[in-house]
Amino acid sequence: MESLMIQIEELLGTSGALTLSIAYSVCIGSLLGFITVYAMFAIWMERKVAAHMQQRYGPMEVGGWHGWAQSIADALKLLFKEDLIPRDGNKFLFWIAPAIVFCGVFAGFIAIPFAVGVQIVDIDLGIFFIISIASIEVVGVIMAGWASNSKYSLFGAVREAAQVVSYEVPAAIALLVPILVVGSFRLGDFNAWQETHGWLIFQSPFMPIAALIFFIASLAGAKRAPFDLPEAESELVSGFHTEYSGMRFSFFFLEEYASMFVASVLMATLFFGGFTLPFLDVSSWAPPLAMSFGILILLVKTFAFIFVQMWLRWTLPRLRVDQVMAMGYKFLLPWGFVSVIGAALFEAKGWGFLA
Amino acid sequence: MEALEMYTVDRREDVYTEELKLNLGPQHPSTHGVLRVELAMDGEIITAARADIGYLHRCAEKIGENVSYLQFTPYTDRMDYLAACNNELAWSLTVEKLLGIEAPERAQWLRVITCELNRIASHLIAFGTYGIDMGANTPFFYAFRERESVLALLERPSGQRMLYNYIRPGGVAHDIDELWLSDVLGFCDEFELRWAEYNTLLSTNKIFIGRTANIGVISKEMALDYGLTGPVLRASGVKWDLRRDVPYLRPYDECEFEVPIGEGTHGTLGDCWDRYWVRMREMMESIRIIRQACHRVPSGDFMLKSMLKMYKSPLKPPAGEAYLRCENPRGELGFYVVSDGGTSPLRLRARAPSFCNLSVLDALLPGCMLGDGVAIIGSLDIVLGEVDR
Repeated sequence: MESLMIQIEELLGTSGALTLSIAYSVCIGSLLGFITVYAMFAIWMERKVAAHMQQRYGPMEVGGWHGWAQSIADALKLLFKEDLIPRDGNKFLFWIAPAIVFCGVFAGFIAIPFAVGVQIVDIDLGIFFIISIASIEVVGVIMAGWASNSKYSLFGAVREAAQVVSYEVPAAIALLVPILVVGSFRLGDFNAWQETHGWLIFQSPFMPIAALIFFIASLAGAKRAPFDLPEAESELVSGFHTEYSGMRFSFFFLEEYASMFVASVLMATLFFGGFTLPFLDVSSWAPPLAMSFGILILLVKTFAFIFVQMWLRWTLPRLRVDQVMAMGYKFLLPWGFVSVIGAALFEAKGWGFLA
Repeated sequence: MEALEMYTVDRREDVYTEELKLNLGPQHPSTHGVLRVELAMDGEIITAARADIGYLHRCAEKIGENVSYLQFTPYTDRMDYLAACNNELAWSLTVEKLLGIEAPERAQWLRVITCELNRIASHLIAFGTYGIDMGANTPFFYAFRERESVLALLERPSGQRMLYNYIRPGGVAHDIDELWLSDVLGFCDEFELRWAEYNTLLSTNKIFIGRTANIGVISKEMALDYGLTGPVLRASGVKWDLRRDVPYLRPYDECEFEVPIGEGTHGTLGDCWDRYWVRMREMMESIRIIRQACHRVPSGDFMLKSMLKMYKSPLKPPAGEAYLRCENPRGELGFYVVSDGGTSPLRLRARAPSFCNLSVLDALLPGCMLGDGVAIIGSLDIVLGEVDR
């Protein structure tokens, strides 16, 4: 952000508030563009993954090569669809809910370091910021469920609220484990630490436990199977977005894929080295090369985790509501505590495997 | 069940929420057609349920009283449209009983093979859609892959993929081609491998077992009281299969096969998992029957010579009545026909297994969660075309 502002000042000769607003617009625009393109790709990928797991081909026609333009066609279709609002629903809440849902996840993107220097705002409490801003989404979902004036939507919204609030606890506790080792909330510090020491997942036996807990909890947070209860198709038709159509519906879709991305990036950054490869020093490389290399590495790792999420979705049945809650509170939470305490002991004794 | 009761009690003491009426269906992804269930909900827990049927009523029985005996055969296909061959068989056998004739030996064996193939196809749909009810979409596509093979096999003699009109009073409509039996045997070999695949994908999945074990328990007494039949009855531990106990076709008497019953493997006897597992094992028993039958199909007529003559003018059975029941994939399908000697039945009545099995739903749902309700509806494996007729 700062470097961008300097560049803008040099290029356009602006200063002060004008520079700041131009810089913000550029950042937000590029992020929006990135999320849209990513979501389209991820939706296409999800269809392909699902299809090949189910002995099908998936989209094959639109655009030519393996139906690559299917998502674009879908997005255009959604754009041109009639915007239906239930007559007895709360119009204002119905209108604003998708925006709130999307904002929470979108805001999380600004703290993500994609490579050295490719980060909109380098926040000291980056991890804290991402997981706390993402929970704004719940408010939007409850608004959507309430404003739809449909019982299925209400069920979905209440389920979502219960689920997300419960699973944020184990997720945050699991994140404490790598934080204990690195001693920082800044995401950039994790990349730097792992570049010199190696991937954090190998630091202690408690690290894989924490990674697994965070992954499961992030699945629940992103409403992915087997925790897709808020939109459980066979029970609630489509849960909280039953009454939504067209562009508003696509925002919920966008949000789901965006939160998958955030969760996977966190996974990659905190446990698997982020945009760095261990013991590969890129500081002597030309900055653009090092930058694109970092982005590439991070995207490869992220998409690996996104693939696992898709893989699980098309393999596993769905849990029941009480089983979801039991899993969060009776399984993930105690093991989260165990891993935090264990990792703390490990650190205190200096037993860590990575010097 | 015990765990369920436990938290039901807890709930009453801790929180009480306002009762919510929820209308499940007739347009709902998991009511398997146009079933409508009125639910009274307390939060996620169902407190009362009432199944509302009739959205697919097509007056099948009344139509039967106005068309000739032979013309009604295609209408039976459309009752349980997933097991058309079995419906035709029940109808044909009833008419044959009324006429006092018996189909030739070759036709009987062909009937057994087609009916068992159709049973596999029907159980595959039960398996696949049950996966979807549980939120697992992939088993459905696996099941449809094998169902496609079955449909292709059944298409060859009958010319139809779903509603065959193949088994008719007096025999079967067409003879099979020379390669058919060996292709059926080839399918049997392939299916055994696929069946193992289904089990690794869904049957042994821990989440799936957690969702179905101990849910919707039908005790032995309850099953008998409600007049349940088919896999739903057998899953409650009652070893009753018409193919074994009242062999309505001679080949069933001569073939060796087991009657799978529920064992309460993962929970209580008669829970959703038992019903699911009985169906899965029945598929393998059908494969066993088909294997034996394929080796024993005799040569000869596939249709009674006398019937071929009679087909030129409408059938006129002697005055009298006949009732006959067959073991369909969903339970006992019975046809009751009264003839006054005319060209169409005076009275026709079908005892549809789905209809009788559905009667237990209202008693099973209260006390369950919404997700369990979907699991229970799916495990009863109803076809609305047959419920409403």
